[in-house]
Amino acid sequence: MHLEGFPQHVTLRDGTHVVIRPLRAIDGAELLEFYRAFPEEERQFLRDDVSSPEWVERFLKKVDFEEVVSLVAELDGAVVGETTLYRTRYGWTRHVGEIRVAVAHALRRKGLGTALSRTLVRLATNMGIEKMVVQVVENQVAARRTFEKLGFTQEAVLRAHVKDIRGLKRDLIVLSNDVSHIWQAMEAMVADYSPMHE
Amino acid sequence: MAKTEIRVGGLGGQGVILCGHIIGKAASIYDNKYATLIQAFGPEARGSACSAQVSVSDEVIGYPYVKNPDILVLMSQDAYNQFIGQLKPGGLVLYEQELVTLDDRMPPGARSLGIPATRFAEELGRRLVLNIVMAGFFAGVTGLVSAEAVEKAVLSSVPRGTEDLNMRALRKGYEYGREQAATTAH
Repeated sequence: MHLEGFPQHVTLRDGTHVVIRPLRAIDGAELLEFYRAFPEEERQFLRDDVSSPEWVERFLKKVDFEEVVSLVAELDGAVVGETTLYRTRYGWTRHVGEIRVAVAHALRRKGLGTALSRTLVRLATNMGIEKMVVQVVENQVAARRTFEKLGFTQEAVLRAHVKDIRGLKRDLIVLSNDVSHIWQAMEAMVADYSPMHE
Repeated sequence: MAKTEIRVGGLGGQGVILCGHIIGKAASIYDNKYATLIQAFGPEARGSACSAQVSVSDEVIGYPYVKNPDILVLMSQDAYNQFIGQLKPGGLVLYEQELVTLDDRMPPGARSLGIPATRFAEELGRRLVLNIVMAGFFAGVTGLVSAEAVEKAVLSSVPRGTEDLNMRALRKGYEYGREQAATTAH
């Protein structure tokens, strides 16, 4: 699937210019370098061992822009942010997409996470997804705020669900954003029915 | 340009009226032509027969009703059964090929081009943009409205947040229409 509207040029709060574009099959080395720069205690909060070349290889194969969509933020040829949408085309959660986002330390608090997330949420809506979910650990306050600004609200808390590098258990918060009203407006438009008609 | 009369037919819930509306809007608002639209709904919101009558002309249209269309845009078998007898000899049928089967009731010299619009819409992400695929197909085959005009008509008609999918649906139908028209022209 070809994603239209990319690359996007974004100016961050401090004036830094980054490019947001779909992940390419040749981005493996840059992606690995990006994730390896994360401190280990942060990588512990990720679901996969993103610092391994094997994971990167598997991930690049999975990204098909149908069920797995990945966008990266690029600065001077380096990956400085990555966001992924996971969804299934069949089954009872085919209307739901899960979003993950990661931003390089040097680019945090500059609006890059918001820019990446907003771009992916808009893309997901236009792919027909009605509900988006994102998981944040209780102490990931900035990430939570980013998604709340985009319309996500807390839907569930899984108590002591994740364990950090020191063995401390933390709550996992599930945030969700129901965008089905957008499609309900389209459904009403194609209903071919006027209550005034006699 | 003489007046071109179009009948869009299908079932409630397929976006038949919106398809006709977009064709008319593209012609009148964005291509500086004249257009009229008459819409007919069934009593139910979904599943009942409905149709739109669209006239497009370079001149002011004095009579908006479409009795014998030059072009039929059909999205259901019922619509085909109901309207095929009205098509002018040498007219054009654009139809959803997985929902409509043509037969020997086609008038003499009539041409037909089909598109799997529902399947395309589903592949793009949502079945409900099948009418936009059909609008794009109409523009691609007939050239009666320009690509730019129909794009603007779609963007100014659909709900905010759905523009990208609707544009992809429009372009899919348009490109398929251009291909089909080129293939049949040779």
